[in-house]
Amino acid sequence: MSYRGWQSWARRFRQEWSTAEEGGSDAAPDRTGGVSRRLFWMALFMGLLLAGSVGWGLLLLNREAVRLSHPATGNLVGEGVQTFRHAWVVLSDAERFPDGATGRMVALPDEWAINHPRHAGGIWYRFQLDGVAARDAAGESLRAIYIERACSNVEVHLNGQVLYRGGRMTDPYARHCYRSHVVALPSGLLKARGNVLDLKVVGYPLEQVAARQRAGGLASVRIGALSDIRDLSDEQEFWTSTLAGVLGGILAVMGLFALGLAWIRRLDYLMYFGLLTTGWSLATARFWLTELPAPNATVEVMIAMMFAPLVGCAVQFILCYAGARAQPMISAVWMWRVRAWLWAQCALLPLTLLWLGFDRIFAGVSLWYPIFAVEICAGIGYFLWAAGKRRRPEFWLMSVIMGVVVAVLGIELSYQAGWIKLWGVHVTHFVMPVLYAAVAIRLMQVYAKALQAAQGAKAKLEQRVKEVTAEMERNFNQIAELRAEQVAEKERKRIASDLHDDLGAKLLTIVHTSNNDRISTLAREALEEMRLSVRGLTGRPMVLSDALADWRAEVVSRLRQAGIECEWRNPNDIIEEPLSSRTYVQTTRILREAVSNVIKHSGASHVIVSAEVHLDLHDFVLVIQDNGKGIELALDDRTDRGHGMTSMKHRAKQLSGQCLVESGPGFGTVIRLTLPLEVATMQHPGPTLARMVDHVRSQ
Amino acid sequence: MKQILLLEDLPEIRAWLKALALQVFPDAQISEASRIHDALELVNAVRFDVAMLDLGLPDGSGVEVVQALREKQPEAQSVVVTIHEDDDHLFPALQAGAFGYLLKEQTREQLSEQLQRISQGEPPLSPSIARRVIQYFTTQARQQHMREPDNVTPHVQLTDRENEVLLRVAKGFTLPEIGVQLNLSRHTIADYVKQIYRKLNVSSRAEAALEAQRLGLFRR
Repeated sequence: MSYRGWQSWARRFRQEWSTAEEGGSDAAPDRTGGVSRRLFWMALFMGLLLAGSVGWGLLLLNREAVRLSHPATGNLVGEGVQTFRHAWVVLSDAERFPDGATGRMVALPDEWAINHPRHAGGIWYRFQLDGVAARDAAGESLRAIYIERACSNVEVHLNGQVLYRGGRMTDPYARHCYRSHVVALPSGLLKARGNVLDLKVVGYPLEQVAARQRAGGLASVRIGALSDIRDLSDEQEFWTSTLAGVLGGILAVMGLFALGLAWIRRLDYLMYFGLLTTGWSLATARFWLTELPAPNATVEVMIAMMFAPLVGCAVQFILCYAGARAQPMISAVWMWRVRAWLWAQCALLPLTLLWLGFDRIFAGVSLWYPIFAVEICAGIGYFLWAAGKRRRPEFWLMSVIMGVVVAVLGIELSYQAGWIKLWGVHVTHFVMPVLYAAVAIRLMQVYAKALQAAQGAKAKLEQRVKEVTAEMERNFNQIAELRAEQVAEKERKRIASDLHDDLGAKLLTIVHTSNNDRISTLAREALEEMRLSVRGLTGRPMVLSDALADWRAEVVSRLRQAGIECEWRNPNDIIEEPLSSRTYVQTTRILREAVSNVIKHSGASHVIVSAEVHLDLHDFVLVIQDNGKGIELALDDRTDRGHGMTSMKHRAKQLSGQCLVESGPGFGTVIRLTLPLEVATMQHPGPTLARMVDHVRSQ
Repeated sequence: MKQILLLEDLPEIRAWLKALALQVFPDAQISEASRIHDALELVNAVRFDVAMLDLGLPDGSGVEVVQALREKQPEAQSVVVTIHEDDDHLFPALQAGAFGYLLKEQTREQLSEQLQRISQGEPPLSPSIARRVIQYFTTQARQQHMREPDNVTPHVQLTDRENEVLLRVAKGFTLPEIGVQLNLSRHTIADYVKQIYRKLNVSSRAEAALEAQRLGLFRR
């Protein structure tokens, strides 16, 4: 539909609009307000102009349609179709044409409200078929007459014989105001000349009906070949009846759908729209409900009554759709008053009609319809104002629709007031449904968009929930790991504490109370071993530089205390490589053993310790070199006389490293310790107490 | 005549430590305690010159006694005598105001020499303790920086020389080596170390007070 075009245009315009505002916003706020307000008024003016031009175009179109279908000159419409322009009229309710009664010539179409004011009942129209009939008699094709509109009902007589009756001819008459009649003329009844066609039309005066369309009258009567007449009739039937019927059906379905949607989603404006369209489609039933058992006045009042709730729904729909409920630009009290008035109308309208009496139904309705029109126009104005102010994308589409509504209202009111003439095709009957359809499509689009957005949001939300859940799981796992780690840490600390307090204290007592030097030395060493083990148990990984510093401090101070000069060669850089506490502890033990050996056995006066770190080979090397007397290298471990070489090698092996000892009598000793730099991930429990005690015993 | 407090739960060790103390300070009057409770009572009753305090005791940690002495008898020298060598145990004691530490399993000669040195004002300082001190003061400075600048709490800072000494100790140099490197006397180096311990204690107490204030323990 064209609204897509409108929308893209509107979007473009809106962009310009917003850029205009953005451009102005950082420059000067006052001017921005001015610019946007000017833009707003311009847009409103253009919207109204657009609506007006569309309405005017519609009016012109309608007039053109009227002109085409009702040639004032009475030219032949089809091949051989002739229009009767005059008829002899007798006001009578007689069953047959009252031959003797007075009558007069009247031009067709004959509107009773003008030509026969306040006449209720029947009027006879007489046509002479002379010229036509003469040709007909010879012609092969069947002849027929076409009565475009005879309100309320018509009876056709040819040469005194009844040919056709639309329905009940007594009050309440059958209601055929919106229909045309086709009556075939039997050839047998046609005489060579002097054929007389009589039409008895029964109807109600304008005063007793609620709309001018249902006031008594006879439009043009045509005669011609049956096929031509049938075409004419079909065309008329399509525009007035079929189209209205189809559209009414569509509207009913649409309205019910909207109502269902409104009920599920609790959308006010959709509910009012559904009520409006459903109500409208119900109101179209008046076009083809011909034989009603109720008196005419009742039916007319009922029809008039239907418009009050329709108008109420229409206005409320417009207000709700404009967003009056969500963000009221008029106060809630006023909203409430408007609603109350709209519903009060539904009761006030029939009361007014009853009070005025059945003879003044049209007068009462003429009072109410302008009020309705004003209400709808006010609603439209409010909507355009609100939509323009909020720069809603459907502003242009809606202003066109609203303009058309205003135009249609204008046409309808003018017609009812008798200012313009409309015959046959009635613009309201098919323009309004089209408008409803346009609005409905727009609403569906809005709804679909909202649904799409909601679904997108939902998908996004689901995605987010998934992410958050995953993150929570991850966090939970981390916390669980941390908790496990903490528990393990706590347990290790407890064990360490127990070891210190229990084993440590006992060893200490041995150290300080034993009279045997060897035993107290052994106990001291055992205590140191225990401490290192505990450190391996509880210690955190440390940086290689720090470990080197600790080793240096210990080695240097121990050698110094023993009176041995020590030279420590360290890499200058700070090495941030991590060292597991296990490696630290084992290396400390190896170093301690080596230093003890130097002090106890070597008799050296000078020791050089050099540390090298090979990051590329991923290892570090400690070389302890003394200038002592050297040791006799044992060929097998059993001859290792308490020098601890075996345990040093064993420890180095445990760390996947190696400990090489080069020595000979008189050459001093070189201990080369190569250990891998491991990535400190998990804390190893370190040597067990049992193994430690074993080691203490082995010494 | 020196008054000495000896806190140790194991009777044999206590006897042995008493003998050690008497060896270093021949004319000392020694008050013995085997529990925190008893030690605290003694602190209230007697003025001590030196306190030899074990850390792991049946009714708590010797750090409590270090704190009590620091508050009530600031001139007393607290020396922690422990089986624990790790700085997780030693550092809190030093923060509380201990002036040095002795490791119990050392030989009588080593211990008596260290005790002598400590009592003469030459506290020991190991690389790992030095690292902890550096870390502590760095964190302090950072936190101080992050707090509002008009903070009234005294900000304890180490001097450049003190930092220099600390850094060298942390790198594994012994105190006499550092004396040679910086061309300082053994006595001066000891003074720096004493100063570092003092500042550690002052800063820790200021921090504790600030923390208490922040927790609303002191209401004005």
